[in-house]
Amino acid sequence: MGIKIAYSTNKNIDGAVKEVKDQINIPDPRLVIFFSSSNFNQDEIAKGIKKSFKNADVIGCSSSGEIVSGKMLNNSVVLMAFDKEAVNDVKVEVIKDLKNSPDPQTALDSFERYYKTPVSELDFTKYFGIILIDGLSGCEEKLMEQIGTKTNISFIGGSAGDDLKFKSTYVNANGTSYTNAAVLVLIKSNVKFDILKTQSFCQLDKRFTATKVNEGQREILQLDGENAIDIYSKAIGSTNETASSKFMSFPLGVMAGDEPFVRSPQQFSEHGIKFFCNVAEGTELTLLQSTDIVKDTQSDLDKKINEFGEPSGLINFNCILRTLELQNKNQTEAYGNIFRNIPTIGFSTYGEEYIGHINQTSVMILFK
Amino acid sequence: MAGKIKRQIDEIILTVAKNNQTIINITKTKLVLKGINPDKFNDQSADDPVILDKLKLIAIEFGVNKEIK
Repeated sequence: MGIKIAYSTNKNIDGAVKEVKDQINIPDPRLVIFFSSSNFNQDEIAKGIKKSFKNADVIGCSSSGEIVSGKMLNNSVVLMAFDKEAVNDVKVEVIKDLKNSPDPQTALDSFERYYKTPVSELDFTKYFGIILIDGLSGCEEKLMEQIGTKTNISFIGGSAGDDLKFKSTYVNANGTSYTNAAVLVLIKSNVKFDILKTQSFCQLDKRFTATKVNEGQREILQLDGENAIDIYSKAIGSTNETASSKFMSFPLGVMAGDEPFVRSPQQFSEHGIKFFCNVAEGTELTLLQSTDIVKDTQSDLDKKINEFGEPSGLINFNCILRTLELQNKNQTEAYGNIFRNIPTIGFSTYGEEYIGHINQTSVMILFK
Repeated sequence: MAGKIKRQIDEIILTVAKNNQTIINITKTKLVLKGINPDKFNDQSADDPVILDKLKLIAIEFGVNKEIK
């Protein structure tokens, strides 16, 4: 028992819900996590899954492509169920009205009351958090920064997607779906877990300091005191007119030692470069160049499994920009194959959460 | 004057991580993402008031109240 996965590509909600329920042969799951295409009505699928797992805490979100062991999917639902052997306890909180109030304090207070321990003192080897956020809210950094100053527990997760429509994304908790919201779950685990953050870039020998930014707009206005567009375009050997076609291949990285936290350019704006993630003023940035996603992911996962052992389950929060690159290179089958022998679910996100908000990265949690 | 930035960073890391190496590394990364790279400062680093003001706010966020001399 422990952890089980299921998926369905049935386009009918009732059919999809029945199919995933029938694949889960755990009599009484404690926690269910699912990701579903935004082409499903999110209220109906949230209700349907909760109804199928009445005694479990159920969380999920809309996606832009799903991942299950051996496959990258579209228009599907993927689900992972944990029984009480795997999960000791679960507390779910929803932060509503996120854009007006991206404050996790009420949720963190609730976790403290539930576990009867200050979140600052919880054992980070026994507890972990999952965070699913409206992917169009633009609130990920604020939320992750505040969580990070209150607790040493790792919260990992992703920004919900909507199959590249960019209209509305949804998170859900215990049968109710929400937009402009985040779902936080604090889990006391009965099994060992570990986190893998992987991205496929090498560092180039070009560094800049973000000397003027507009954090609220995720915009860098100046690098090294000069126009950010001019500096970036020149650094990648391009012109201001053509540089945007190379954004995915040349993002910037905030380096923590040798580990990049990727900031992906989105577009040139009137006064600077807009990113999918903000950069604090004064931050040093390194120019990155893309490498092979399949090769790098396989290598990083192999290394992690050598340290950790064979996982009984894995959740993969994989950036939509990585998925698009895999599609462009006809590598989706090869990527799915990396996880063929591991019970895996995941989805293509509009941003990844680990320590902070990041881009063009895959954040995974592995369970023993 | 020099070294105050490093002392403030060390105080934040000490208070938050309590000598746990995993948490020390994660706390350093949190500071990097806030625009302060701990590896860039040492005992000889000048007491830049802009960075010290920024660190003061970060220390409050982390619940670190000890005043650094």
